[in-house]
Amino acid sequence: MTRSRITAVGLMAAAALTVTGCTAADAPSDGPVTITFWGSYGNGGNSTQQDALNELLIPAFEAEHPDIHVEYVDIPYDSLLQKLTTSAAGEELPDLVRADLGWVPQFAELGVLVPLSQEMEDFDELADATYPGVLATNLYEGEYYGLPLDTNTRVMVSNQAALDAAGLSAPPATFDELRSLGDAVKGTGTFAFAENKLQAWNIMPWIWSAGGDIADPDLTTSTGYLDSDESVAGIQLLVDLYVQDAVPNLIIGNEGATATSDGLPGGQYATILDGPWMRGVWSGQYPDFDPVYSTVPAGDGGSVSVVGGEDIVLTQSSENKEAAMEFIRFTQSEQFQIEMVKTGQMTVIPEFAAQQNEIEPFYATFATQLETAKNRLAIPDASKVDAILQEELLPAFEGTISVKEALANAAAAIDPLLPGAK
Amino acid sequence: MTILPTPLAPAGRAPEQDSGARPAPRRAGRSAVPFGGHRRARHSRKAARAKLTPYLFLAPGVALFAVAILYPITQAVNMSFFDWQLIASATSEFVGLGNYVRALQDDRFWLALANSGIYMLFTVPPQIVLGLAVAILLKKRSPAQPVFRALYYLPVVTSWVVVSLLFKYLFADAGLINFALGDLLHVTDGATSWLANRWTALIAICALGVWKGIGWSMMIFLAALQGVPRSLEEAAIMDGANRWQQLRAVTLPAIWPAMLFVVVMLVIGGFNVFTSVLVMTGGGPGGQTEVLLTYMYQQAFEFLDFGYGSALSVILAIVVFVLAIVQLRVFRDRSGEAYA
Repeated sequence: MTRSRITAVGLMAAAALTVTGCTAADAPSDGPVTITFWGSYGNGGNSTQQDALNELLIPAFEAEHPDIHVEYVDIPYDSLLQKLTTSAAGEELPDLVRADLGWVPQFAELGVLVPLSQEMEDFDELADATYPGVLATNLYEGEYYGLPLDTNTRVMVSNQAALDAAGLSAPPATFDELRSLGDAVKGTGTFAFAENKLQAWNIMPWIWSAGGDIADPDLTTSTGYLDSDESVAGIQLLVDLYVQDAVPNLIIGNEGATATSDGLPGGQYATILDGPWMRGVWSGQYPDFDPVYSTVPAGDGGSVSVVGGEDIVLTQSSENKEAAMEFIRFTQSEQFQIEMVKTGQMTVIPEFAAQQNEIEPFYATFATQLETAKNRLAIPDASKVDAILQEELLPAFEGTISVKEALANAAAAIDPLLPGAK
Repeated sequence: MTILPTPLAPAGRAPEQDSGARPAPRRAGRSAVPFGGHRRARHSRKAARAKLTPYLFLAPGVALFAVAILYPITQAVNMSFFDWQLIASATSEFVGLGNYVRALQDDRFWLALANSGIYMLFTVPPQIVLGLAVAILLKKRSPAQPVFRALYYLPVVTSWVVVSLLFKYLFADAGLINFALGDLLHVTDGATSWLANRWTALIAICALGVWKGIGWSMMIFLAALQGVPRSLEEAAIMDGANRWQQLRAVTLPAIWPAMLFVVVMLVIGGFNVFTSVLVMTGGGPGGQTEVLLTYMYQQAFEFLDFGYGSALSVILAIVVFVLAIVQLRVFRDRSGEAYA
């Protein structure tokens, strides 16, 4: 064999390998296939979740599936979206991504995600086991592009000392009680309630609890929903409290105001809405602070909060889709869900909730809140919706226009972004 | 009195003329060497190689420029004419000038452009005046001079993100600025929410820009001041010029090219303000402090609307380019006057 022939054969072999590599998912190959999984479990220097994944869960999965090797790559949350965007543009995404639930429709629209409801035979079975509000975050144009991985929601967190000073024994449970807290703190230098921004994550609990919504269920119009009397009532509560100095200007986006994470333990803010991760933050920074957790104050629509968390998605560029789907199934297992509960993640499967609350009674309030919690608009332009809310609601807080007008303006700007209207 | 500088000036230039004249005889000597036929051929090959040398030296820089700057620019211009799809395999729709028309009708774009312009207007003059003042003060030799130079230059080499965070905390509601103005000086009630309002937030952002930029213009001015002929300054003193007159009649005309450079660079830099806004206000509240680059960033990287984002950056490039041309014209005329 001449040298050039050897090279030619070698090249053909390499080409054949590449071609078969694409279909390796269908036929099990000899060596173990490697699937790559991107996430931000280790965000904020918290290594417990990453350790549980790398040292317990992935080895357990690999022991059961000797032909699959899972490589987890931790990426800081702040740079994950940008990395995903550039990787999507270069069509070099990993097999699996732990995606913020707001990103799923955005990437589904780009066509880089595999519709799991089409590709996984047992999808319905897995999906039915999860919380509906959490599952809904994966829905885009009739197909589900992922499965819930972990979840959270916002509940009311109070500083008991600040409540005591205002003469309240328990956190405000209704809109009216929050209004009375606003009156009680007048002139004390304490704020009744503090909020970071005016995005959907921040204001939707108030709109839903008041009985309003941001759009109709079919996502065809925001006008008539976001500017309904119920929605107005939810925002009016915040504006009224803001005007009487019971809510700080942090809510309109003042980056110089004291953050809720410092203002609440410091007693400057009596109540905030926040997620389960704050316990870890406070236990490190304010070990003496004993936060009180309660459900979101109820309005005419009840006590309804917003769903947060992450989904696991499979990308179109994955060369080992079957292996990757096998790992997705594993993430829905009791072993995976409960092990992650121990590291501070809430389970997406209501069946495990009791077990979760036993391991960590602290989660009980969040689990209760999750039963009614809703998802924000699952549309590719969700980030535009946030910018619109932030911009259009500002004049209502500054008192230049009414809440009704502001919400009508926001609704008009959101209308063309809805898939049903396009 | 006025004649004094004239006889001095040529004397000051004399050494330059000398050094310029010296190589001339050598060149003449070399060319006088007679060449034979094949020696001439070798010489021409050598000459050809010598001609090639500068291009070879330029090649890496030009290649880098082409790959890292020219190619992205042409790509961005190209993208600005499309409803650009992020994924390479997707088809992008050609929209012609659609993205540009959209920008002209977009109130947010005009607000962002105005904010960039305001930032430029309020940061360039202070950087020039203060940078020049510091340079003049630091020109005099003293033991402490290197320390001060380093101190003034320190902000220039410090990361934008770090100093932006620093200024964010300084201008926070419970920050040092409010403490100083309220509790210390009793100028305000100490409860200004600097970053909650468009104009006060722009003040904070501009303050950072000036503070961070003084060192840079100081360095350029210091270098230029070294080149001001001592004799001219001495002559002006002999003529009885006071400090202000010296500055106006001698120093400024002598450093005019440096001034032109500083102004052009600062104006370009002013329009390119980005990190400080992103970190200090995030464009907030409600997009009120958005500048052109943060708005472009939001459109491209948050909304994945790369076509519109590209159009915005092309518009910014055109604005900056036109401003630079205008400045060069104005300054060329002014410098003509100054030396006349």
